[in-house]
Amino acid sequence: MNPELQASAPPRSILTIPEYRGLLSWVSSVDHKQIGIMYLLGALFFFVFALTEALLIRAQLAVPENTLLSPELYNQIFTMHGTTMVFLVGMPLILGLSVYFTPLMIGARDMAFPRLNAFGFWVFLFGGFLLYFSFLAGSAPLAGWFAYAPLNEKAYLFNTGQDYWVIALLLTGAGTIATAINIIVTVFTLRAPGMTFQRLPLFVWMTMINAFLMLFAMPALNTALVMLFADRQLDALFFQTGQGGSALLWRHYFWFFGHPEVYILILPVFGIISEVIPVFSRKPIYGYGFLAGSTVAIAFLSFAVWAHHMFATGLGLPVYYVFAGASMLIAVPTGIKIFNWIATMWGGSIRFTTSMLFATAFLIQFTIGGLSGVAFAAVPIDWQLTDSYFVVAHFHYTLLGGMLFGIIAGIYYWYPKMTGRMLSEKWGRIHFWLMVVGFNGTFFVMHLMGLFGMPRRVFTYPADMPYLGSMNLLSSCSALVLVLSLLIFIGNLAVSLYRGEPAGDNPWEGWSLEWATASPPPPENFERVPRIRNRRPLWDRQHPDQPESPLEAGHGAGEVLS
Amino acid sequence: MNIPSPLIPASSQARDLDQLFQVVLIISVAIFLVVAGLVIYNAFRYRQRPGDALPKQDHGNHRLEIAWTIVPLIIVTVMFLLSVRTMHLVDPLPLDRKPDIDIVAHQWWWEAHYPATGAVTANEIHIPAGKKLLFRITSADVVHDFWVPQLAQKIDAVPGQMNVAWISADRPGVYLGACAEYCGAEHAWMRVRVVAQPQAEFERWQQHQLRLPAAPTSEQASRGFHVFMNRPCSNCHRIAGTPAQGRIGPDLTHLGSRKTLAAGVLANNPGNLAAWVTVPQQYKPGSNMPNFQFDPQQLKDLIAYLKELK
Amino acid sequence: MMDKNRMAMLLFIASETIFFAMLVIAFAFFHSSAAAGGGEPFGVLHPLKTGFYSICLFSSSFSVWRAGIHLPANRRRGGFWLLATIVLGVVFLAGQGLEYRELLLQNITISRSLFGTTFFTLTGFHGLHVFIGLILLAILWVLAVFGRDGEPMPTATESVSLYWHFVDIVWVVIFAVVYLWANR
Repeated sequence: MNPELQASAPPRSILTIPEYRGLLSWVSSVDHKQIGIMYLLGALFFFVFALTEALLIRAQLAVPENTLLSPELYNQIFTMHGTTMVFLVGMPLILGLSVYFTPLMIGARDMAFPRLNAFGFWVFLFGGFLLYFSFLAGSAPLAGWFAYAPLNEKAYLFNTGQDYWVIALLLTGAGTIATAINIIVTVFTLRAPGMTFQRLPLFVWMTMINAFLMLFAMPALNTALVMLFADRQLDALFFQTGQGGSALLWRHYFWFFGHPEVYILILPVFGIISEVIPVFSRKPIYGYGFLAGSTVAIAFLSFAVWAHHMFATGLGLPVYYVFAGASMLIAVPTGIKIFNWIATMWGGSIRFTTSMLFATAFLIQFTIGGLSGVAFAAVPIDWQLTDSYFVVAHFHYTLLGGMLFGIIAGIYYWYPKMTGRMLSEKWGRIHFWLMVVGFNGTFFVMHLMGLFGMPRRVFTYPADMPYLGSMNLLSSCSALVLVLSLLIFIGNLAVSLYRGEPAGDNPWEGWSLEWATASPPPPENFERVPRIRNRRPLWDRQHPDQPESPLEAGHGAGEVLS
Repeated sequence: MNIPSPLIPASSQARDLDQLFQVVLIISVAIFLVVAGLVIYNAFRYRQRPGDALPKQDHGNHRLEIAWTIVPLIIVTVMFLLSVRTMHLVDPLPLDRKPDIDIVAHQWWWEAHYPATGAVTANEIHIPAGKKLLFRITSADVVHDFWVPQLAQKIDAVPGQMNVAWISADRPGVYLGACAEYCGAEHAWMRVRVVAQPQAEFERWQQHQLRLPAAPTSEQASRGFHVFMNRPCSNCHRIAGTPAQGRIGPDLTHLGSRKTLAAGVLANNPGNLAAWVTVPQQYKPGSNMPNFQFDPQQLKDLIAYLKELK
Repeated sequence: MMDKNRMAMLLFIASETIFFAMLVIAFAFFHSSAAAGGGEPFGVLHPLKTGFYSICLFSSSFSVWRAGIHLPANRRRGGFWLLATIVLGVVFLAGQGLEYRELLLQNITISRSLFGTTFFTLTGFHGLHVFIGLILLAILWVLAVFGRDGEPMPTATESVSLYWHFVDIVWVVIFAVVYLWANR
């Protein structure tokens, strides 16, 4: 872009682009950038609800035998907290960043199916509204986010909350499948000339593999949901144990979806980390091939481990061996990634922007979550600690300490590109440190709560069980710090739209294609897509004295690929 | 009092489980220290300083990749093999052994039968100390989970299915546990009390459980007996040797000898018993026992009768 | 690189394959556990009658293939073959409907037995997919008869044909599992 033009023009921001002016342009948009932002805003909207639910949970559990919430209300709240965080916060954050940045990073004008893209978003939004409408329709669902049978049947939960849950998840699931198809076709057919699969940015690679996971995992959930709906509405017998139905069938089917689902939530975040750490370490990503390959290994293995959620159900040792083995195995490709990210930082020249701070915290916190996960793969340990607060600690470390911290790293990194403004680094640091303290304070102690015998999904615990009271109080107080940090973050997001420093095309000196256009990108994305000759398309322009080899040093170098 | 913690094992299985946990914990802490250490080292050592040159653009190293694939592979293989060993120790096949206890989980209480003698009880499960027992467990409604961390692994109570697990206690004592599978409104108050007793005492307890309760001694208790039989109590509850043979709620034949009421919600004393019988929904909202209206004299009589069911 | 619509349809089919596979597995699971325990009223289906309707459905795969060969060049012939496909599909659904009626008259419903539950759910969703396929074929037919030159575009015809073949293959599996294997 012409530098003189850039200097004299009014600061470019998402608020000033004429094509994006007015509510109608957003509501009727098929532009992947607008849809991506709407996904993120939708996620933020539901995040506020899920955080409120979390605060209510922590308030109720702060003291033993508390009477703040009745058991029935508490059970609705923890069910909605889990369902919202997974389907209405986690998924749209992932999908939003995926549809925003995939076309940009491969040099495309938009997704392969722009209208399908919009469909995916709106069906998610309305699914979310439907789920929350259940509060007004008598009762929210209260069988937990995983709704085990036969508790989820009409016989035990006859109010309509559970039916709203089923339909809402069918809707959001349909949107997810549509978006997954869209992502795959986009990456296969719309890459810029010269961008072979081996030159894909890792965020795109991992998003694409993730789309395959979504494609194969969501139908499993749909199957379980339609079977449950048949049971509840047509008196079918799939899960009615009194008449030959099977409670375990639900669990198998749900977790066949559920386990890949958690990898669906984390793989794109692995992609974000793989973009952020190299840029802020001023080094290329270490071990590109292994990072890409290990992603494929994780994708395959994630379908082979589901019964590790069922080690206490009496399936028998031979079955447990298979799933324990696979679950142990899946730790290895994940470990490979952590080591590669560390090696990327090693020997670098690291700028600790807020984004990099979050990525660094991700490395440590996700490792903690991963290690507690491996502990569960050891079946006998699972036999003591599953369904206790130890497992609550595990998945909050991976989902909050891992996924959310990684997403936030991505947001601090890409907010300038999406809006044309920088987020405040000062408030970013305050957000970061408060969040680290608040998060770890809330969730580390849960490992101990589980080890002291506290089961999960309980609305209270006995006053005479030693230590539980003080541990829960510590956790609840830290939760306030955590929420405060998130409020600061949300404030930063809002205020920087108007008062943030103008970002320019490439504030971080990044190397991937999204930085080769204005911030925010014009509706057509690129005036001209540079020809792709290697993995860091903008590197040669920034460092003409040290050109990048076609693939990487030592691998296929010397070949002149057209 | 005993803390229901897997870290304070009181049986051989719990000890085997704890040992494996300690090993995995040590390995995990070591790995964590390495990872966190490297990250923090990187953060300080390679922080950008003014005037820094562009770092060497290192893309990777095959050998290193293979090394940090193989080492974790070895570690998880070791952990897997250790797990298999512990699994065999803790959960050997029952083969032809008949279960010593039959447990049926309900929303939100535990029913226990002793097939050898025919004794029946609820929520407070007695076992002889120092012996390894096999228990069979299923559910009468939704999925529950029996978890007494100091004595045994967890095992789900699945409707339509029989699961088995081993339980034992080294020494006599009271061991606490809880339901560990979300089962509805009062999942939090479905607590387990396992009372381990010396063999002789356990046998006496079993015989006592089989004994029919003595006829009510006082006139008040007699009136209480009639209150129980004439009100809906007998629709749900059983008292051996009386017309009350309901099997929907816990067996009350020896209610007076239990330490807690309603699967751990209240301590068992006359005041609490009176409160529980009148407004159970206040203490365990959602439980299947509705609130009742008694006039004060009826209530006193009823409690007098129930107290005697030792 | 493959045409994007064709790729999208193949991916969608891959996803639906998982969905149907899980319904089939549920059917097979309950059949084997019930057969082991006895007492379930399996053996009430008529493979021969349903075989006839199945042949109609399989033939419709042939006819949709013929339609694809002629479209968009010869829209009259192509339209004819599309219509044949639709008719064959309707005959199949009618046959299914008659079968449902017979079962319901024998008091075999979705809620009376595990056979009913799994049978009606599995074949019901298949029938729904056939119905949706008929709508897609009808749209193609309207374009062939009333549309402009070059319509329906090959990419559309190909994608819908892929979907239709998929629906057919699912029926092959369902017929084999439900009417042959389980009906012994």
